[in-house]
Amino acid sequence: MATKEKEWISIPMTVDVPYRFAAGEYLTKTLTELRDNGRIYAVECPKCKRVQLPPRIVCAECHVKNERWVELALEGTLAGFTIMYLPLTDPTTGKPHEPPFVYGSVRLDGATSVMDHFVDVEPDREKVWVGMRCRVVLRPREERIGDLSDIRFFEPLPGQKKPQPSTH
Amino acid sequence: MKRNVAIIGGGQTYHAARRHDVDQAEMVNEAVRKALLDAQMTMDEIDLVLLGNMEFFEGVHMSDCWLVHGTGAYGKEGLKITTGGTVGATTVCAGAHHVASGLFDRVLCIGFEKQEEGDTGAILSGVAHPLWGRSLAGAAVGYFAMMASSYMAAWGATEEHSAMVAVKARQNARKNPYAHLKLDITIQDALNSRMLAWPIRMLDMCPASNGACAMILADEKTAKSRCRKPVWIRAMETAHNEQFELDWRDVKTKRPIFSKVCAERLYRKLGVVNPVDYFDVFEIYEPATWAELIWYENLGLCAPGEGFRLIEQGKTEIGGPIPVNPSGGVLSTNCIGASAMLRVWEAALQIREEAGEHQVSKPVRRALTTGYGGTNWTVMTALSRTLDD
Amino acid sequence: METKTEYQPFEVDQHLTARGNYWAGKAGSRFFVSIRDKKKLLGSPCKTCNKVFWPPRSICTFCFGELKEMVEIGPLGTVETFTVVAYAEPIHPRPAPFIYAVIRLDGADTGMAHFLDEVEIDQVRIGMRVKPVFATERKGNILDIRYFKPL
Repeated sequence: MATKEKEWISIPMTVDVPYRFAAGEYLTKTLTELRDNGRIYAVECPKCKRVQLPPRIVCAECHVKNERWVELALEGTLAGFTIMYLPLTDPTTGKPHEPPFVYGSVRLDGATSVMDHFVDVEPDREKVWVGMRCRVVLRPREERIGDLSDIRFFEPLPGQKKPQPSTH
Repeated sequence: MKRNVAIIGGGQTYHAARRHDVDQAEMVNEAVRKALLDAQMTMDEIDLVLLGNMEFFEGVHMSDCWLVHGTGAYGKEGLKITTGGTVGATTVCAGAHHVASGLFDRVLCIGFEKQEEGDTGAILSGVAHPLWGRSLAGAAVGYFAMMASSYMAAWGATEEHSAMVAVKARQNARKNPYAHLKLDITIQDALNSRMLAWPIRMLDMCPASNGACAMILADEKTAKSRCRKPVWIRAMETAHNEQFELDWRDVKTKRPIFSKVCAERLYRKLGVVNPVDYFDVFEIYEPATWAELIWYENLGLCAPGEGFRLIEQGKTEIGGPIPVNPSGGVLSTNCIGASAMLRVWEAALQIREEAGEHQVSKPVRRALTTGYGGTNWTVMTALSRTLDD
Repeated sequence: METKTEYQPFEVDQHLTARGNYWAGKAGSRFFVSIRDKKKLLGSPCKTCNKVFWPPRSICTFCFGELKEMVEIGPLGTVETFTVVAYAEPIHPRPAPFIYAVIRLDGADTGMAHFLDEVEIDQVRIGMRVKPVFATERKGNILDIRYFKPL
């Protein structure tokens, strides 16, 4: 164990790592379409038919080239969620997301993949549930830059109620 | 395997949130000396040194180079391994491969992390795709929270079930002198702990620990001539998930998820029909309570959707029929680079019947360990007391 | 049929910022306390290998022996090698040009990298004898030596 009478020396350090990331052919199409036209494109594997988002050139499971582009609906179903109580920092901007907020995985209609994003709903478990129908809310065209922040959040479709658990 | 491989010694530091009294090399050296002492071996006899840790979790790169005096690797063959939460298990796996291949006879494997020195959260965000989620990175807590909400919705488990896992881990840790969080807590304490990301509370998550573990692997000849209680590595398997897909957040997925794929392959290799009958103890990588419940199901310890029943019935307690993480697990100690190695080492201690107070009640001939990390992949290791087991 | 659209390659500049705190441990803490409080430099001797190491350490790199003693080294030393940094980089601690030298302190068997100042660039020689210039306000880090200068 550390002895109390000794002094232990430390030195603070900050490492700032700049990098330039190239999206590549497939993701470039999806991000450009999202930014310019507000559309979300995924790719379908010719073999297993899974519609993959973000799009990638090869299906990891079938090892074949994905070639067919599919435009997804801007609506989907919540597959999992959390109500975040931690002030998480956006590592790319250094700014915190103010808690509490709802954050979830949504499967857009037509996609096999899920997509993680904020859900614009009160941080109340009665107001959000797995299976809730949601839609994409985009930023205005002039604010879009070509990444996931072009989507402001998902919002619940109106007129839904949390299903009550069935009694066993 | 080309040649049989045994664990002939090991050691670990005590684990704590603060280790201001040692630098990284001094901390690693504590574990290395314990492992050498345990194996009754000198550094001169080691012919390969493998070091595992996560680049930059403690603010340094090239740890293999500048800890070379602490690891004892100076002038020897060696390499560094960095594979996320699996690091420690990957390092043992690589060591076992090196021995099994016949190229090396006595391999020192080391895993460490001095988490207090770095910015794990910031560096971990580098795991997320720069344009597809990094700006929204929900940290490990957010990931496990979504997995938990999906699990609850799918199977009807409640927060009480995760609280039972939280209590089991910390009560087991109290029996383990090396564990970090030795907490005398109740289910109510767990349910009252601070909400981080619903339904994950403070006591549902692992701590950030400092610590190191070291193990010495040897070939059959060395093991039999030098070691009183060699523990045999019978099989190792690894499996990766596809990125962005079918992960633990979707507990009802029918797709071939990494954990099930890996277990199936390992069971096939060993001829395991029922893992509950085959293995006597499990040391699994559970950074969050809910991950433990899902591991139960993915490893086939119960049917899908019944993981929470297993904890409810107390089956995975130290004295239960399927003991899981008698050491207190990752929930009690998470020095990332060492955590997956600690699973293997703790399982070896169980087989040696030297786990002390946290030795499980039933006799242990075989054990299974898992690692978990990155964006979903695992390394599994099966151990046995004799080569006939 | 979908019409073929040409997309401009998509690249973004980002950065990650990580804050940390390095702990110097047993041998390192003794060294930095000594330099801060007494302006005395310490090394770690290994009697088995007959070497004195800088930076000080608790384990001998060569024989794996435990090192508990520390001895005073320097403060004078000899330039073992040097370079003139002629280009600017954000990571550099000083604007170019400046001299980096490896200085073997008297009594030590390994060198310390530090700045060399108060000397014309074309006057620096391997084998040159140098001494440290200490900072007035010392904080327990390697810049408690501001730089070395020729005797």
